[in-house]
Amino acid sequence: MKLRKATRGQLKWHNRQLILRAIYDGIADNRAALSQETGLAKPTVSELVAELLQEGLLIEDGLGESTDSGGKRPTIIKFVPNARQVIGISVTADRIFGILSNLNGDISARHYANLNNATQQNAIDILKQVVNGLIAQLDAPLLCIGVGVTGVVDSANGIIHASQALGWFNIELANELHQHYQKPVYIGNNTELTAIAQFAFGKQAHDSTRNLMVLLVNDGVEIGVAWENATYHHGGDIGFLHPSVENAHPLNDSLSWNAIIQKCEALRAQYPNSILPTEGLSYLHIKYAMQHSDALAIALSDQIIQQVSHIVLWAIAFLHPSHVTLAGTIVDLGDTLMSSVISQVQQSLPQAQSVTFSMAHTTNMSALGAVALAIQKELDVI
Amino acid sequence: MKRTHRLGIVTNNPNQAFQRDIILGASTTAESNGYEVQILLAPQRTRPNFTVEGLSGMLVITNCVPDDYLVQIYKTGLPLSLASHQLDSIPVPSLSPDNFEGVQLLVQHLVETCQRKRIAFIQGDLSQNDGIRRDMTFRRELMRYNLPILPDFFLKGDFEPVVAGQSLRQLLKRRQDFDAIVASDYLMALEAIVALRELGLRVPEDVSVVGFGDAPEAEIAGLTTVAADVIELGRRAARQLMGQIEGLEISGLTLISSELLIRKTSC
Repeated sequence: MKLRKATRGQLKWHNRQLILRAIYDGIADNRAALSQETGLAKPTVSELVAELLQEGLLIEDGLGESTDSGGKRPTIIKFVPNARQVIGISVTADRIFGILSNLNGDISARHYANLNNATQQNAIDILKQVVNGLIAQLDAPLLCIGVGVTGVVDSANGIIHASQALGWFNIELANELHQHYQKPVYIGNNTELTAIAQFAFGKQAHDSTRNLMVLLVNDGVEIGVAWENATYHHGGDIGFLHPSVENAHPLNDSLSWNAIIQKCEALRAQYPNSILPTEGLSYLHIKYAMQHSDALAIALSDQIIQQVSHIVLWAIAFLHPSHVTLAGTIVDLGDTLMSSVISQVQQSLPQAQSVTFSMAHTTNMSALGAVALAIQKELDVI
Repeated sequence: MKRTHRLGIVTNNPNQAFQRDIILGASTTAESNGYEVQILLAPQRTRPNFTVEGLSGMLVITNCVPDDYLVQIYKTGLPLSLASHQLDSIPVPSLSPDNFEGVQLLVQHLVETCQRKRIAFIQGDLSQNDGIRRDMTFRRELMRYNLPILPDFFLKGDFEPVVAGQSLRQLLKRRQDFDAIVASDYLMALEAIVALRELGLRVPEDVSVVGFGDAPEAEIAGLTTVAADVIELGRRAARQLMGQIEGLEISGLTLISSELLIRKTSC
């Protein structure tokens, strides 16, 4: 393969990111330390720092201590998280949820709109109206927009290939939004973004987890991964897979929320005294009824937990994550779900003893992941 | 010369704490952006008799005017924002405290910190979104903690302290086997404390009382509440409305976060 030489512009952008990242990560806080840590010449550092100060992304904040050998006290340079804001959006089957965040992931505004079975073009219009709702609340210049969508997403090219839940196919969403807002737009799969958010702003940002897998179960079934502290990430719909030889049906036929409702109704004849409602059923109803020894709820949850455990086992065997997060509305089943899955995984796969588990509600997390993806792509500091 | 824009803020009572703080936040933000503000009174929840001529946009606080009037205004193309009210029939944007988060925080506090297990709920006006959502979330949170959901423990309140007081006094005649009350707003919670004390029940030793929303009278009474920053809600409402006037097409709901304020009436 023939290697192409980096252009002057690319080289400058790369050097600028080195400086920003060193300050953002707390590795260096003055020009001399930046030169030492990045290997860039002092005049180059000074020029780039001046540019970043001018843009407001960095600020000079007093004088530091002089070195042991004495000399002039260095000017301390800090990252300014409020210098720009980022919009993060999560699109699911029934709702478009957005947040306005600074560069540290601190949320200053939340805005959502329901989709109410909107057509594809209407849904994209509603997406823009949610973005507009957040633009109206900006406290600083908008840096970029991140969007998470349920389904198969080509993140590199900004294309939604297939979102069954939304009925969206082959949409160049990033390009359409970029044309409309004249700002960089990045898109990803919602579950993948949930994983990224945990590395960027969640608990996993502070512990030793390196490879994180998110299993999302709500309207459908998705897996997202973020490997090596989110250096690599990917996610997608697995609802069409057949992970079990005993079960000839794809996962969506047993675990999507529509499938759970149908299963509940099919079982109801056997358990006529069940307290589960015939309308407006939720995982919380199932959890509550289980705790009141409702036979239908117990039968239903046994099947759900068995299916989820099977997928988790299958995914651990294939992907070897160090941490698994269960996400989506299914987490309303609570500790029963978590403890049963952990127990089945540890019984069936002793080598997975070191895998840790957590649960997460995803709407906020995938929107926050969209923010993290956008900041990562735009500034390379996450 | 730059044309001056004028915002109309419609309210049933500009002196009540919630409305007053929204007006304060909205007016400050609008005026600092060069807008004039006009307060429009609609005290009876009937079709108002003020004119919208000359207004650049209108912020309506709660459901102080009939929904069909809002639909009519929306159809004229006048930018419109609703604070603490929503309409499903038209895509007019609105702002609201996060009811889901607020009720979650209250129940979590009562169950996990105060160890309460039998909680009654004083409902708000169930024709208003805030009333409906707080009621719905309360039921969900009872399920989450596996607590009893007894029809007797859901009391009519309508966001009216008098109605709330009557409902609670009737319940107290029948049964007193509850250990906490969540009220859908702080005024009804304050009335609940009065009704409990009339019967010699101690707050919080015998019954914890918490409510949604905050005001100086709640603070003086030591009421544990969840409260959104209502002045901030007003600021955000002005921004939403100004955004529309400046050409942004907006639909949906802006949520304002709620904070748990632990005082003396919970535990």
